[in-house]
Amino acid sequence: MIELQDALRRKEIWAVGGGKGGIGKSLITGNIGISLARLKKKVLLVDADLGGANLHTTLGIGVPEMTLSDFLSRRVENIQDVIIQSEIKNLSLISGAQDFLDAANPNFSQKTRLLRHLETVDADYILLDLGAGTSYNILDFFLFSDQGILVVLPEPTAIENAYRFIKSAFYRRFKKVVTHQGIKDLIDAAMDQKNTMGIRTPYDLIERVKLMEREVGEILELEITKFRPKLIVNQVRTKGDIQIGFSIKSACNKYFGINLEYLGYVEYDDSVWQSIRSKRPLAVEYPYSRPARCIERIVHNLLRKEQLTLSTLY
Amino acid sequence: MVKKIEDLNYYELLEIDPRASTQEVYRAYDRIKKVYEPNSVALYSLFSPEETAILRQRIEEAYRTLINDPKRKEYDMVLRELRELPEPEPEAQRMPTYQPPPVQQRPVVVRKPAEREPFLGNETRPQPAPSAPPPQQAEVPVPEQPRPAPLTITEFTGTAIRAVRENAGLSIRDVAGITKISERYLGYIEKEEFKKLPARAYLKGFLPQYAKAIGLDPERMTGDYLRRYDAAMER
Repeated sequence: MIELQDALRRKEIWAVGGGKGGIGKSLITGNIGISLARLKKKVLLVDADLGGANLHTTLGIGVPEMTLSDFLSRRVENIQDVIIQSEIKNLSLISGAQDFLDAANPNFSQKTRLLRHLETVDADYILLDLGAGTSYNILDFFLFSDQGILVVLPEPTAIENAYRFIKSAFYRRFKKVVTHQGIKDLIDAAMDQKNTMGIRTPYDLIERVKLMEREVGEILELEITKFRPKLIVNQVRTKGDIQIGFSIKSACNKYFGINLEYLGYVEYDDSVWQSIRSKRPLAVEYPYSRPARCIERIVHNLLRKEQLTLSTLY
Repeated sequence: MVKKIEDLNYYELLEIDPRASTQEVYRAYDRIKKVYEPNSVALYSLFSPEETAILRQRIEEAYRTLINDPKRKEYDMVLRELRELPEPEPEAQRMPTYQPPPVQQRPVVVRKPAEREPFLGNETRPQPAPSAPPPQQAEVPVPEQPRPAPLTITEFTGTAIRAVRENAGLSIRDVAGITKISERYLGYIEKEEFKKLPARAYLKGFLPQYAKAIGLDPERMTGDYLRRYDAAMER
């Protein structure tokens, strides 16, 4: 318990993404937030899904008056003005944009202003609920966070998007550490899976970069090892589905050379849609349901910097 | 250090520590094999079917090498030359596994690869007169060929199973290490000493394990073998 308290001391930003829509990002973010709040930590949830915000709904908060777009468009100056207290102690929310179309694509200065303000907020944890897709905004929030969490379903479509997300995220990360324009162009070209240069894997790319500038290639190699996204498999129905998390981890390691951490899984259960229907948070309405317990376990893994081990399967 | 898939060594391929025990090798193989199955959902959009096929082949190679003690030692030497493995305190930590003297355990104890061929030839001959009393069933034909072709198996008899095992370069002890079935029972299975085997229900559990360890189709081997077992036991 003591180590848990220590882990909880410092402010951290966690981002939840996944590439595909409708895979439970908001649900998981919201309930991770509730779990943390119950551990007596101040939590701020930020609905960074600027196109299709609905984190407030999973928390049982009605359509909010003040949203992130009010802040981004400077209709309010202070971020405090858009923070809504939830009925759960220690848990507050910045809701996503409802109407403002431009907000779906904030520019660089808007983003940095947001991040700067977030740093000043009195909270132990700031959770960003990212939208679907792999737009630069989403990737930037993901890369900026202390912990980038990927949600995936045990289905080909979701897995495909997750891989695309991973690839986009770290190619974007590559581009940020590189200054050489030629190499930047090369990275851009490598993003296209069907590129004509025969670059298929990050390994190929690094080899190519090394030919251009050896040190830069080595820096990129280092970047790969530093990139450690976390994985949650949602809507798990069978033991085989749990296994998929380990398989994705293995495939990522062999293909991308990155170490994905398998945080945990969330079991499929009717309690989830029942709670959504009743517009009440899962962890409040069905705290002892299996999905709610799964999410609690994920929170513990996050706090202790642990991940699932294969022994869970035996 | 980022490595191309083709450059991964067998340990990296199976995602195990170079000091992994035989059983850990087997477990890892069993798991990794499933990850890289042709229709594995986790590979979707990442690997092409050709790439997966090559990977699977390498995984087989890795398993066959690491499960076989002489071959593994040879491979470790190569890796050490490539500086992919640190120099270990030689043998020290792995020796105990092979140390204990087998009780009445004659088959395939010699591990020097060079002696393998002639030894196998001799080995079949003393078969009918082991220290244990030969029961009625023991006279099941034992082929004289030092190495019967394993690919032409029509029925999984004890001898056929043994031939496959030897062809894979595995000793009874290796298989016992993987499956955790006692060496004695494995020997009885191969010699078809049905009376000495435990109850049918146990045998039914052993056979698929054994089949998997030596790379045979578990269902076929179990079916075949139990049919022979039933026929013999009825008499």
